[in-house]
Amino acid sequence: MEGKGIKTKTFQERGWLKLDNCAKLFPAITSEELTSVFRLTAYMKEPVTYSFLKEAVEITAGRFPYFSVSLGNGLFWHFLDYNERPPRIMVEEDIPCTAFALKRKNELLYRVLVKSNRISVEFIHILTDGAGAFEYFKSLLYTYLRLSGYQISSSEGIIVPESSFSEEEVADGYNKFFRKLPPPEKLARAWHLPFSLNKKPRLKVIRAEMKAEDLLKVARNNKVSVTEYIVSVYLFSLQKIYLEEKEKGHIQKGHVLRTEVPVNMRNKLPIKTMRNFSLFILPEVDMRLGIYTFEEIVRLVHLFIQAKSDIKQIARFLSSNVSHEKQLIIRILPLFIKRMVISAVYRGLGSKRFSGIITNLGTVKLPDEMQELIESLEIVPPPPNSKVKVSCAIVSFNDKLRISFCNITQSNELERNILKHLSDSGVHIKILNNNQMNVS
Amino acid sequence: MKLCTNCGVELEESLKQCPLCGKNPDDKEQDKPETMNYPSDIINLHKKEIRRHIWELSGIIAFSGMAVCTIVDLVIGEGVKWSLFADASIISAWAFLTFILLSFRKSWLMISGFAVTILLMLLMFDLISGKSSWFIPVGLPVTLSAFLAVSLSLIMNQFARFKGFNILAIIFVSIAGFCILTEIIIDKYIYGHIDVKWSLIAAVSILPISLVLLFVHYRMKKGNKLDSYFHI
Repeated sequence: MEGKGIKTKTFQERGWLKLDNCAKLFPAITSEELTSVFRLTAYMKEPVTYSFLKEAVEITAGRFPYFSVSLGNGLFWHFLDYNERPPRIMVEEDIPCTAFALKRKNELLYRVLVKSNRISVEFIHILTDGAGAFEYFKSLLYTYLRLSGYQISSSEGIIVPESSFSEEEVADGYNKFFRKLPPPEKLARAWHLPFSLNKKPRLKVIRAEMKAEDLLKVARNNKVSVTEYIVSVYLFSLQKIYLEEKEKGHIQKGHVLRTEVPVNMRNKLPIKTMRNFSLFILPEVDMRLGIYTFEEIVRLVHLFIQAKSDIKQIARFLSSNVSHEKQLIIRILPLFIKRMVISAVYRGLGSKRFSGIITNLGTVKLPDEMQELIESLEIVPPPPNSKVKVSCAIVSFNDKLRISFCNITQSNELERNILKHLSDSGVHIKILNNNQMNVS
Repeated sequence: MKLCTNCGVELEESLKQCPLCGKNPDDKEQDKPETMNYPSDIINLHKKEIRRHIWELSGIIAFSGMAVCTIVDLVIGEGVKWSLFADASIISAWAFLTFILLSFRKSWLMISGFAVTILLMLLMFDLISGKSSWFIPVGLPVTLSAFLAVSLSLIMNQFARFKGFNILAIIFVSIAGFCILTEIIIDKYIYGHIDVKWSLIAAVSILPISLVLLFVHYRMKKGNKLDSYFHI
């Protein structure tokens, strides 16, 4: 913390943090339906003991102080106000990813949920992304299991509560690695699913489980990664619905099927931040050029992801996003005007860029003793907006791959198409019961 | 092992109730927990807090406004005169806002509150004006007629199986009835006898629209909901 004799204040001494570049979007667009909240769940092999969990939550909150913040309103920007509290421990609700009361004083932006044998954490994207949240979650599970009396001899890959946090964990990766680059190419308007929206509350979740090994085998047979394979299935399923709509004679707005695939930038750049640090690649197929076979889509997606996941290409998105917030005219706009502008731009442009979202958190590795005590892990993505309509997230643990779809429409045709395609490819799919929270 | 039957979590033997939901794990008969601890409770609590803050702030503004009016009247005029009307208006406006904020989603409480506030406001105006002549013969019956018309629409809205154009038709019929009652009350007060003219013209103009709406609702678009039809 010391440099040339001048002591830099830690964020706790300052008492507040700037929002990172990605987080700046969410306060303006978040609503009771579009909550920007995601959930991570661990299915334990034993019922959860409340007293140990409470203690574990308090201990872990001390190791991740930068999450103990609430959203504050400045004259020009929102900020994160440090308030030194542990998160709430609440009962899991039937509908996941409920909104946070962002404007409530001292209300933290994450919470711990519990029911039966499940421990979940819900984070709003203002605070961090899936990878950052998983670091916290792993630490919480480690602490909980140790307090429950289990011997966990190894802590490899886990931030243990005894360790001290570094200022790098609160760094804004977007600003740190910003340099002026040519902006990315302009994208043609994406096609969107035509389904009618559900009545409020709109969100329905479909969850499925499969053997990670089965899916890996199928992906390898196609000479692609699991992410590339799932994205291909997603695009192929979108194409099926697009063609059905075209056959019915329905007027289509946009003819490009495009998925947003978040990329964890911590794997690409040397930074250990726990705040948002993801960017996106946008694999696509253009329906104006004709109909694609599945093999063609697999090849296109593979080539696209290989080319566009190069750091130089992704850095163009980083440069473009950060350069907006650096403009003086934008910086001096009062917050209420900024919120209106961001909201209008998001509604007008942001959601028109892609037809669907797929987040793959990859394979989560925990120490062997922990792996034995946890049945499975799951991620529920943030509810999609009214244009995109369906979002999808994947995580693999203990050779089980769980896929969750958040859907706000009256149709589950997309999920059906995706899961049927996987099943036809030889992957055994088990649809999970959403009502298992009703404890008998 | 002591388990909460509501949350499914294990509790320490010494715990008398689940800290999450408030349920006594030993009491098998108790179906519903005393307190809930769900994420959506925080959102509802926050909405209540916002309504309370608006109410408190509006109270400060209202009473400051009354104080300013009264003092200005005292200093500039010769005693408290016009400020009494201003004060009565401000109190009434604040009472309206109070009923809007406190009777959230309780339409009967809101309508009754509005009726009482209007009656008290008119009574105050009548008393302040010093002649006290029009409240009983005009103000009271016209307000009650309006309350009757709104109540009729509210009852039909609550009991209608399909809410659509039929609700609009009932609102139009209520307006027609209110017009007739208003003209009767005003005629009686001004002329001493009843001679229904303009309200009858208004009523016969409105009633065919109601019939068309009822026809459209029950014969053509049964079950069409107003919010879906008029959504922007």
